[in-house]
This record gives sequence, structure tokens and C-alpha cells, in this order.
Amino acid sequence: MSAKFWGWFGLALLATLIAGFPWLGDLIGERFPTSYELRLVMRAMILAIVVIGLNLLVGLAGLVSLGQAALYGLGAHVAALLSLRAGFSFAESMALAIVIPAMMGAVLAFPTVRVRGVYLAVITIAFGLIFVNVLREWVGFTGGASGLANLPRPTLFGEPLMAVRRTNFNYYYLILVCLLVAVWAQYAITYSRYGRAMRAAAQSENAARALGINVVGIRTMAFSISAGFAGLGGGLFANLALFVNYETFTFNTSIELLLMVILGGSGTMAGPLVGTSVLFIATQFLQSLGTWQTFGYGLLLAVVLFAMPKGIVGSLGALRHRMTTKSRARATGAWPNWGPGMEKVTARPDEAGQATLIAQGVTLRFGGLTAVNAVNMEVRSGTVHALIGPNGAGKSSLLNVISGFYKASEGKVTLFGNALNNAPPYALARLGVARSFQNTELFTQMSVLENVLVGAHPHFRASFAETLLRLPRFHREERAARAEALRLLEFVGMSEFADEAAGNLPFGHQRRLEIARALALRPKLLLLDEPAAGLTHGEIDDLIALIRGLADRGMTVILVEHHVDMIMAVSDRVTVLDYGEVIADGSVAEVQADPRVIEAYFGHGVAPAPQVAA
Amino acid sequence: MSSVLQYLLTGLSAGAIYAMIALGFYVMWSAAKAVNFTFGDIFMLGGVLTVLLRELGLPLPMAAAGAILIAALAGAVIERVFVRPFNREANAIGWMLTTIAVGTMIESATTATYGSIGRAMPTPLVEQPLRIGGAGIYWQELLIPVVLLGLTFSLEGFYRRTVLGRAMRAVAYNRVAAGLVGIDADRITMLAFALAGGIGALAGFLVAPIVQASSSMGVVVGLKGFLVAIIAGIANAPGVVITGLVYGVMEKFIEAYLSTAARDAIGFTVMILVLLLFPQGLFGRREVQKV
Repeated sequence: MSAKFWGWFGLALLATLIAGFPWLGDLIGERFPTSYELRLVMRAMILAIVVIGLNLLVGLAGLVSLGQAALYGLGAHVAALLSLRAGFSFAESMALAIVIPAMMGAVLAFPTVRVRGVYLAVITIAFGLIFVNVLREWVGFTGGASGLANLPRPTLFGEPLMAVRRTNFNYYYLILVCLLVAVWAQYAITYSRYGRAMRAAAQSENAARALGINVVGIRTMAFSISAGFAGLGGGLFANLALFVNYETFTFNTSIELLLMVILGGSGTMAGPLVGTSVLFIATQFLQSLGTWQTFGYGLLLAVVLFAMPKGIVGSLGALRHRMTTKSRARATGAWPNWGPGMEKVTARPDEAGQATLIAQGVTLRFGGLTAVNAVNMEVRSGTVHALIGPNGAGKSSLLNVISGFYKASEGKVTLFGNALNNAPPYALARLGVARSFQNTELFTQMSVLENVLVGAHPHFRASFAETLLRLPRFHREERAARAEALRLLEFVGMSEFADEAAGNLPFGHQRRLEIARALALRPKLLLLDEPAAGLTHGEIDDLIALIRGLADRGMTVILVEHHVDMIMAVSDRVTVLDYGEVIADGSVAEVQADPRVIEAYFGHGVAPAPQVAA
Repeated sequence: MSSVLQYLLTGLSAGAIYAMIALGFYVMWSAAKAVNFTFGDIFMLGGVLTVLLRELGLPLPMAAAGAILIAALAGAVIERVFVRPFNREANAIGWMLTTIAVGTMIESATTATYGSIGRAMPTPLVEQPLRIGGAGIYWQELLIPVVLLGLTFSLEGFYRRTVLGRAMRAVAYNRVAAGLVGIDADRITMLAFALAGGIGALAGFLVAPIVQASSSMGVVVGLKGFLVAIIAGIANAPGVVITGLVYGVMEKFIEAYLSTAARDAIGFTVMILVLLLFPQGLFGRREVQKV
């Protein structure tokens, strides 16, 4: 049985246990559970909802929020204030209790995720302190330390929502339904292009940007979603306790929530449920420690991080993986393997001979250093255009300008007929510019197949709602993307490695995977930055066949390379850079004969290099 | 007019504390691209340990030196045990969590043993307030910005003129290259955390006579110091100092003219807004990504 089956089985079992818990007393003939125990379980379920949201942020997007309790509290106070002061119905106030924290999350995340993950952690702490500060001091609005009491009992469809064991405890089941919805949402987001994009952005920001992922957008979205979950939990909490004040939502609660995520196993499906259950039970014991209770939390967090950095579920998963996976020899296939279906990747409307890229006077300065100086270059569609020059000539810098990673200080770049200055890399990727990196940038903790699937990110059309509800278009697109990713893996001879973690691959295979991933974008223009570096002779010959094959099928390739034999073998045209300036531009033969090129490579007074067979 | 002068002076004093803590963050960040997230607790140790050592009978300078030494040692231990093993990958976040864990332990252990109530630390400089117009200001408060100035210049001199300081700059600039020329980058990083620990404890010792030494004195102040460092663009020492002083003064004017209760709410909001406008920090340079 697969892990997926056991996962759903476990969830169904847990749901049944929770659903049956109130009736336990009838079974064993005792007055247990009482309303008190029911409330404990309800509070644990509410915390689990908040923790699921935080798990999406920490486990997928790799960002840490230390103010999650404040977003939780924001949801609680929105629900409380709206029903107490504005007479909103339960459904209305709950909807806003989700939406307002989610918007707050976006506002907080946007300035910080542009820079570094640490910033988000600090900003969220600050937000948490602002939140508590405002609640405590704005007595007229929030009641200060005495909080907001006597909230009206919520009703849904005319039914009062109660949590009393002996009469009516329908609210218990409403919370259970919300929890199951949250678990589903976590599953649906994680196993979709959104989840993949979040993980990709966490593992290699540059590669994610080059594959058409708006990193700031996806991280802001991750934080916004996690804040929405926190708000949902908060709204449910307010309507359960019918009383809120700031003391429930302090920094310590944020730490507790984070500890639940880490303890269960961040990034795992079952982690939040396990972590919340274990810590919630442990808390009932830690309370007996009195003044040392907080110390216990700190110690527990430290012990978990040292002993089980992957958390309970993560560690068990790793153990299971080790026991069940037999190491087997994986056969590497020949590449390039032009099977059926590849024409979808390379198919170009007939634009051969057109200018794909025109650079006019492109200049790039870093402070006083001019890396690229007034470069003019024209790359024709369907050709392999090599960019060569001695070390430090500005080849990679120019490539980075073309792919949007650097902004040209002066000059103009025209791509596919549109002047595109200052377009970010992800926008260029969506227009059809793919690239590889000099030092391979794979998503090392994702599988080989997932790496390629990230490359297909811009092709998905299914909306977030369709993805969440798993509507037909989602399935159709996901199936098609998988089929194409497998085809691309076959193309580079790596079908058998599909489920291997990309970080475990040997170097040559990493280069192959990077090319397959770039092709998943179905690019019109492929930029390769020293693709032959570190490859064996045999592999280089295969690479030559691949590049030539792509160009012959209509793709435009710009190749930065030092390997002279390779350049001579594949290039239609060569541009030579030296000290950031173009010193020669022409066919292979023309460039080889150019005295300035010879001088740049060999210095003065050296006989012309022997002609290499082209 | 004299009240404005008073706000300015007390603001500079509070700001100097933020600036010192921010300098500690700057020193740690430069060396490790990671920090002790709960650095405020090291700051707290500076105050609390001085009080405890004095209660054991040590004279004030000895007690302060002892506290600073212990805090420096704690900084080094935290780096070795809680930061280094969790900062191996480029985008690691483990160190954030482990240092929060250890900070929580330090703070709660202090609360449990030392007590949750602050204790006074009398020094000659808080006996007689200096009268400016209607309000008073302690000499101790005037001392803090002076110490900050001295500290900033000695830090600059240390980074520029000593072998160890140059090694720290080398590690900050390029860890691998520093290793290749024979600098033990790990040891340097540990020393940087010790240095930061000393700076933090010095700030805690200086402020304790004014605010009383308590187990919770570091939490919010430490966070403000971190925010100051980030707003300034963390990699620029003079920028960090200026931002700290400005923030301190701003706080006093918020207290005076807007609201004492909402001081932190307004201050933090301003910081978030500044970061929205200057994501690289006020004095930070845009980092060129290596692609």
C-alpha cells in the first residue's frame, strides 16, 4: 500500500475518532467526556487549523513567521468585534475573519520577502508586538485587559451553535469540518503548481525566477494563505470562547505554534496534526512546571531541532523510505533522444531568419566597473549564436542582462520584436526565454520529475480555486504536464531517475536535468551558460547533437562557452567579447581569422592558431 | 524649548542603546549571515549579572567586567552549539529557531531563579538628576551616547587595524576565500559572536541603573535593536548607529506629542513602512545577485 493510501486512511481514522469522542461516555457508561473535555478537543482542532496554515509557510515557502499568533488573534478580534458591535451574522463575521488577516498577511509579506527570509521573521514579531500593544491600550475599542466578553451566541441557518455535552454540541462538528477542509486545502495546495513554485522559490530563488515564477508574488501568496488559516482559527476560537483578549495571542503563542509545526515535521501532510496533538497534550503536563513552563517549551524546541530536525512525521517518513527503498542500479539512457512528442517543445511558427534578439548599445556597470560596454548584437531565429571571450569578458553579464537578472545601465534589448527593458526574469521566461546556470541551480530537495514540472509552471491555466477544488481542468493540465515532463526526461536519458532527489544526482546528470527543466518552458530562446563545463568528452558530443538538433527544429540558442571544439561544431554565428566590448562578430570561419580575436586570446606576436575543422 | 532639549537628550540615550544592540547584530550578521535571534537576552544578562555579581560583593567595575565576560562567553557558546550546526546551507532557517529556543530558556531560567521583579543598580551617575528646565536627566543617560561613540570608533579601528578585525572583515566579505588564505572562518565567527555578546552586555550594564535590571528587560529592546539594524541595512556600521539614535529620538517625541501607550505600535509601524520604501535598508546597498 502506498504512503498516500495510509495517509488518507489515517486521516479517516482520526476523523472518526474525533467524531465519535463525544459519544464515548455512552459506550463505557461514564460521564466522560464532559463539556470541559469537548472544549479541549475543540481548542486542539482550532490550533491544528492555524498550524496547518503555518506549515504551508514554513514547510513549502521556507519562510518563518513569528507573529502567527497575532494573525490568529486578528481573526478572533475581527469576528468578535463584528458580531458584538456591528451585529454581523456568524457566516459574515467568519468570512471577514479569514479575509482581513489574509490581506494583512499580504501587506506584511510584500516588503520583506523581496529581500531575505529573516526579515519576514522580524517584521512578524514586530507586528505581533504592535497587535498586543494596540489591544492592551485601546481600551475603548477592545476592552484592554478585560477583553471583549459576552459575545452573542453564533447561529448558522437559524441553528444556535453550541458546545455543551448534555444538550447540543453541533459547534464541535462544525470545527471538525473546518479542520478537514483545512487538511484538504493543505493537500491540494502542496501537490499543485502553487506548492511546487513555493518550494522551488525556497530552494533556488534564481532558478525559480528564470522559470517564470514570480518569487515575491508566490511568497506573498504563501503568507497570505497561512494568515487566512490563522484567521479562520481565530474566528472559530472567538465563537467558541465567546470571549477574547490579547493574552491568548502573545509572542509565546507564536512560538508554541511554530513548535507544533517543527515537532510534527514541517512540510509533511500529517505533521501539523501530529505536532498539534503531541504538544497540546504535553502542554497539559508542562503547566505543572509553574515558573519553569516557558523553559520547558524552549528546551523541547531545542531537543526537537537537535534530535529530530525533520519532526516526528518527517523522521518516520525518512525511516520508512530507507527501509522500503532498495538501492537499484539506474540505467542512464542515451541523449538526446528525439522521441515522438518532442515537436511540441520545439515547434515554432515559421519565423526562421527573423531577429529573435537585438541588443543595441547595451552597457552594464557595477559601480565604476564596466562589465558590458555598448554591445550591439543580433541573434537570428533558429540559429546557435555563440558568445565567447576570455575570462571576465562580460559574457555571463550580458547573458544576465538578456534574461533580465541584471538591468542594463544603458542601451536597448529587443526580444521577439518587443523592446523589453527592465522586464523581470519571470516575465521574460513567460515570453519564452529559458536559461541554464553556470553553476547548476537545481531544486535539490525536489525530485527530478518535480524539477521539470516546475519548468512547466507558466503553462498552467487552472485558477487557484480550480486547483483547490481539483476541477477537471486541473487534472487535465497536471496529467499533460507530467506526460511532457516524462518525455523530456526521456529526451535527456534520465527516465529512470524521475523519483530521485535532484541533489543526489552526479554532476553530468544535473546538467542534463537543468536542460530538460529549461525545455519544459517550451522556450523560443534558450540561453546556455557554459553547459559543457565539467562534462566528459562523450557527454559533450551528445550535448552538441542536442543543441544542434534544437536549432534545426527552430529553437534559437545563445551559447556561452569556453570549449572551442564545441563552439566550432555547433555555432552558426559567433560574437566575441573582450573587456565588455564586441571585438568580432561573424561566422565561425570569419571569427577564427580575425586578428583581434587571436590577439585577445593569445596576445601579440603569436602565429595564428591552427585552423580547427568546423 | 528646554523640554525639546530634554526629549532630544533622553532620546539619544535610548537610541544609543538600540544602536549598540544593532551593532551587535551587525557584527554577528557580517561574520555568519546569521544572528542570535534573541540577542536581547544577552543584553539582559549584562544588567542582571552585574547586579548579581555586586550582590556577591564585587565592586561595580569588576562586576561589570565579569558580566560582560560571561555574556561574551555565552555568545561564543551559542554560536558554536546553536548557530553553526544549523547554518550550513545558504538559505538555512534552523539557526533562527535554535537561538529562539536558547533565548527562551535563558529568559525563563532567569525569571525562575532571579525573579520576575527588576532590581536597582545604583551608580554614582544616577544619584543626582541634572536639571534641564522643569525635568531632570541622569548623568548616566548622558554617558550612554558617549560610550556608543567610543565603541563605534574602537570597532572601526578594530576592523581596520588589527589582524583579528581584518580577518573578520575577510570572512564577512568572502568566507571561502578567507578560508583559502588560512583564516579559520569558524573560529573567527565564534569570536565575532563573543564580541557581539560583549557589546550587548555592555549596553545592558549601561542601561540597568536607569531601567532596573530585570529578566524581561531584553525582549522588546533586543527586537528593536534588530529592527534598527535591518532598517539601516545591517551591513553598514555607521548607518546602524545613526538609525538607532534617530529611532530613539523619534520614540521620545512620539511619547511627548502623540501617545505614550501607542509608542511601540507607532514606532514599529514606521519601521515597517520604511522597509516597504527601502527594502534594502536606508544605508544598505543593493546586493548584486550572483547568477
